[in-house]
Amino acid sequence: MDKSKRFFLKGAGALLAGMSAYQATRASEHSSPASQRKYALLHDENRCIGCDACTQACREVNQVPEGVSRLEIVRTGPHGEYPNQTYHFERQSCQHCENAPCVNVCPTGAAYKDPQTGIIKVDEWKCVGCLYCIAACPYKVRFIHPVTRAADKCDFCEQTRLSKGELPACVTSCPTQALVFGDLLDTQSGVYQLVRTQPVSRDKESLGTSPKLFKIRAAKGEVIL
Amino acid sequence: MNPFHFDGLVWHWPIAIYLFLAGMSAGAIFFAILLRYFCLGQDAWKSNFVRAACLIAPLAIWAGLGILVIDLTKPFDFWKILVFYNPLSVMSLGVMVLMVFQVFMFAWLALLFARPLTRLTASRMPFIGKFLAWLKPHEASITGLTMILSLSLGAYTGFLLSALPGYPLLNNPVLPVLFLMSGLSSGAAGALLLGVLMKGRPDSKEVKFIHKIEIPLILIELLVIFTFFAGLVLSGGAKLEAAGNALGQGFWGWIFWGGIIGLGLSLPLAMNLFMTASAQRRFSYVAFTASMSLLGVLLLRNFILYTGQMTML
Repeated sequence: MDKSKRFFLKGAGALLAGMSAYQATRASEHSSPASQRKYALLHDENRCIGCDACTQACREVNQVPEGVSRLEIVRTGPHGEYPNQTYHFERQSCQHCENAPCVNVCPTGAAYKDPQTGIIKVDEWKCVGCLYCIAACPYKVRFIHPVTRAADKCDFCEQTRLSKGELPACVTSCPTQALVFGDLLDTQSGVYQLVRTQPVSRDKESLGTSPKLFKIRAAKGEVIL
Repeated sequence: MNPFHFDGLVWHWPIAIYLFLAGMSAGAIFFAILLRYFCLGQDAWKSNFVRAACLIAPLAIWAGLGILVIDLTKPFDFWKILVFYNPLSVMSLGVMVLMVFQVFMFAWLALLFARPLTRLTASRMPFIGKFLAWLKPHEASITGLTMILSLSLGAYTGFLLSALPGYPLLNNPVLPVLFLMSGLSSGAAGALLLGVLMKGRPDSKEVKFIHKIEIPLILIELLVIFTFFAGLVLSGGAKLEAAGNALGQGFWGWIFWGGIIGLGLSLPLAMNLFMTASAQRRFSYVAFTASMSLLGVLLLRNFILYTGQMTML
């Protein structure tokens, strides 16, 4: 009995040491490749008129079926007293978090961050549809695509437009230029300049997700107690 | 608000049943090990309660995994979870624990039933006896690892939900402890219920042994539930709101106070204390108490899963 106890302790110790060594080597592997681009999007809520041209364009370009959506504009209001009434329009779409909960929880690695672009993508083939990412996303922007049965969401039009050198469909279709898309690592890009000089904010920053969807909040507000 | 359909609901009751079955499997093998080494000894395999636990452990985990696979949007692609791993994903780690758990559980079961198995297969399949004889020297390691893996599996069912940052009720460090405790007590209750149904004597020393552990287990469960919600209330903000939505008026409030605290914990605790104090244990007492415990655990899984998704950050 004593011998087998010793054997068990030795075995368990070796297993733990092996696991921690494996984790340590993985950790150093992870930190090394620096991404070449870090795409980000800025939504200026003061310019947005809530026309939904962006949501229509997104649906058409990415062939998003009815009933689900990659992009929504949420309208709140009216705020204020007649005749000075305003509406707020908030963009709801994938925030392309630097530290994405969906990527962390995905059991197969189907949800992943593209190291080249910083875009959070879905490998449709690897996805088994466990819904863990949909539950984990604090921004509630992921859904099951009715045709592929895989998780789906905004990918900044990576497949449909970025690969052809075009801007995302929502950015191009916006009649008031409320959306600015660009590379955060390029100090000359418009999005970099705006993020540096404007009072931008991001949703649920306290969760430590570091989202890359920046927002300039609507100037006219209302105090609700 | 409809208690089973609301905004933000991602995971439905099949997941709660899976969590219940995985916890029960872990608890059953845990109590089988306790019975074997601290109550019955070498002849443990003859006990109907040990046999019941040994039936529940594999059947519950397979049923649970079956439900999990059917609940995927692509059930036929389930094998990809077994091929591709993400060491950061609680679900992926859980799948690893589940696989290793099954290996060690079957090794332990084989050793438990080594004597009858060797006798039965002596003439036709002598290699089974040889294999069991080869396994025998490693019994202590196999038992230890099965124990650790069963506790890991029980806690994993809680970690799976507590890893979700957007739900303030679920994202709670006490949840794995709560699910582990209630999983263990569901394993004990399952073994008792199936044991007496398999004609195990309700007055046997196995029943007394399990009841003696169940009483402190229920008290710890009550303490952990209290800590769980006290933690939410004291955190304030969205966590306070989530606790209010869960425990307040409405369907799930009734389930919590009446079903979980009342029928699932207080009643079995009172019955266990009564049976410990009185001389005789009867079939109806043991079966009823165990059924109430199982009901309580099943309700707790559903309660946590649904109310957890009711409040979002």
